[in-house]
Amino acid sequence: MAVPQFADDNPCRPRHFRPPPPCAPVVPDPQASEAIETCRTRLLTAAALFAVVFVVVALRLVEIVAFAGASAESHAGRIRPPAPPSMARGDIVDRNGTLLATTLDTPSLYADPRQVIDPAEAARSLSAVLPGLDPKEVYAKLASGKSFVWLKRRLTPRQTYAVNRLGIPGFQFEHEERRVYPFGDVAAHVVGYCGIDNNGLAGIERALDGTMKTRHEALQLSLDSRVQFILREELAKVVEDFTAKGAAGIIMDVRTGEIIAMVSLPDFDPNHPGAVDPAMPAAEAKDRTFNKVTLGDYEMGSAFKIFNTAMALDGGTATLAKQYDAIHDIRIGRFTISDYHGKHRMLTVPEVFMYSSNLGSARMAMEAGAERQRTFLGRLGLLKPVPIEFDEVSKPHFPSQWREVNVITIAYGHGIAVSPLHVATAVSAIVNGGILHRPTVLKLPPGAEPPGERVISQKTSEQMRKLMRLVVQYGTAKLAEAPGYVVGGKTGTAEKNSGGHYQEKKLVSDFVGVFPMQDPRYLVLTMVDEPHGTKQSHGFATAGWTVVPATSRIVQRIAPLLGVTPVDEQSPEIVKALSVESLQGRKIENY
Amino acid sequence: MIRLSSLFWLALVLISGFAMFKVKYAVQDLDDELGRVRKQTVAEQQEIRVLNAEWSYLTQPERLAELNRKFLSLAPIPTKQLQQSIDGIPLRPPAPPALPAEEPAIAAAAPSAAPAPDTVAAATGPATPEPAASRATSMAELVAAALQSGAETDEPAAGDTVAPGSARPVPARVATLKPETGLRLVKASATGRPHTLDDLFAQVGGDR
Repeated sequence: MAVPQFADDNPCRPRHFRPPPPCAPVVPDPQASEAIETCRTRLLTAAALFAVVFVVVALRLVEIVAFAGASAESHAGRIRPPAPPSMARGDIVDRNGTLLATTLDTPSLYADPRQVIDPAEAARSLSAVLPGLDPKEVYAKLASGKSFVWLKRRLTPRQTYAVNRLGIPGFQFEHEERRVYPFGDVAAHVVGYCGIDNNGLAGIERALDGTMKTRHEALQLSLDSRVQFILREELAKVVEDFTAKGAAGIIMDVRTGEIIAMVSLPDFDPNHPGAVDPAMPAAEAKDRTFNKVTLGDYEMGSAFKIFNTAMALDGGTATLAKQYDAIHDIRIGRFTISDYHGKHRMLTVPEVFMYSSNLGSARMAMEAGAERQRTFLGRLGLLKPVPIEFDEVSKPHFPSQWREVNVITIAYGHGIAVSPLHVATAVSAIVNGGILHRPTVLKLPPGAEPPGERVISQKTSEQMRKLMRLVVQYGTAKLAEAPGYVVGGKTGTAEKNSGGHYQEKKLVSDFVGVFPMQDPRYLVLTMVDEPHGTKQSHGFATAGWTVVPATSRIVQRIAPLLGVTPVDEQSPEIVKALSVESLQGRKIENY
Repeated sequence: MIRLSSLFWLALVLISGFAMFKVKYAVQDLDDELGRVRKQTVAEQQEIRVLNAEWSYLTQPERLAELNRKFLSLAPIPTKQLQQSIDGIPLRPPAPPALPAEEPAIAAAAPSAAPAPDTVAAATGPATPEPAASRATSMAELVAAALQSGAETDEPAAGDTVAPGSARPVPARVATLKPETGLRLVKASATGRPHTLDDLFAQVGGDR
């Protein structure tokens, strides 16, 4: 350290200044100098670090000022895009992107009359742009001297613009989000509706309420609004023609379990679910918001013979050539089982199926046994609620003790009540090669193969396709024929059970149709509740006269939309694919 | 020496101070602009939502079916019209010498309650022989005019009562279409359902 030892060599030393006497002789102490040396190194390091930082800052400043920083685009990523206008719920669109539900800003107009300078003029010009308002009433409100009056609730964007253009001081808007369903009642039961506070109260709005509230991108349903419209229109026609209480329908992609359309009539307009439908004044609000497809439990009648026959064929207790007694009625306890339209002879399995013989089916089931029947129906998911997104799903009704009489009635679809969705899901598995898929109303990516569970063998599935085709060719559903689309299916007509008694006049008629039968793509299930026979149907209200013709019309209208190419039914490949060996060379009687 | 360096630093301070203020104001301006753009984006998004809803509302299958019934009479495609291969399509028969008189048929298909006499006159009147080349455009105009006449059924439009034969040019009629009527196409069905999204709003508003 260069400390001056003698102050006298300093020329600037004040005269009176006397240097302090050294405390100790400064002798180079190796230890001290080492410590000082360390100290200096540290200081230097710190200074260097600071220098580097300052240089960086300085350079950055120069860069920003002189070279205008980097390009604006390089900063764009760091700036978060503006959040969408505090959207409460995301949109809902169908599989083609058609908007089914959206949230719109609906401002309501209010005024602070104390700020309005010329109430008369304001009232006149406001009622000019909002023709629904009475100028006198508006004037009364504006001249009232209060500090707050509502002028009009829920303006449209156009009206908002018009009012803003008037530029009247004192007019204010209160903004509010409103759920709007542009398609109205077309997809009411699937989409559901929201309450006044935009909470989902039904359908997918309710089932995915939490998701809907947080997501901003649209939720895509598996629904096709065009197909949905066609299904609804045709079902509405059936309801009208047969003065029925209601109807239900599903169209399902049998390969994936996606629901293409789902209709439950009577339905409601989700824009105002409480309002009374002028077309159906008698239908109570409760009835209209009730989704028959997922929430209704019905004895589906002979449509259950699909499951009964598949069980027997898959379990090996029956073959297509096997014959069953359809001559003698079955008496069990106080019941007598007979055929509705009996042939009174021995019938082969295909004949039992296409002529819908209760006797043959019952004997087929008795042969298989209660345990096998119960297990099989359980495997098809018919004994538990359907695993679909909705909250509104029903719990099937079936006997707790599976006695012989139950085995017999369940064989032809009585004594067990399931929802139409159950049947659609299970029949899809029967015809698609034996894979049970979880039904869904959410769109799957194109080409996706959703996981499934094998419930019957490929062979049984092929046999069932042939049998279902026979029903339309020769059996109870001849009117379901849609040229070129090779429809197959099974009818069912059940008497409604109320209080333990079956009511002869109150029917539930249903038809499960599948097309094209040589390579099933879509399932069409239609059901009508309490139809009444008409002149055209010769007084019949059974499935064959009600929903079966409707299915034919539906298939012919939707097939081109769904991209199903019509084929020639007489072409050798189709005939071969659907021929039943046990019926070869025999003349098939019509039903 | 000291003075020189002091001057240098002073200049540097001044320059950097100036630069800083300049940058600061530039940033503030940009920030304001960003805010404006964001606000505008939100407004545009809101607008898009409304237009989407309106589009969806106006393309309801029910409404399209009704419009089709009224103006086009298209039918579902029967199976025999769907061919699997190009060979299955028969060749077109030789064209008839004169164009088929389809236009009067279309005009007649328009609701008789509000006929568009001028369009009928344009199509059938002997006084207005149109060159064949302009037929295609006049078809489109006819449809537009028919739409317009359908939209005006509520009010007895005085302009509609043009005597047939007075050859009022069709384009003049199309020109009377106001630009905003494009969005206000009246829903064709005569049921009590709302006709436009505005009506739907009003109905929804009255409801809750």
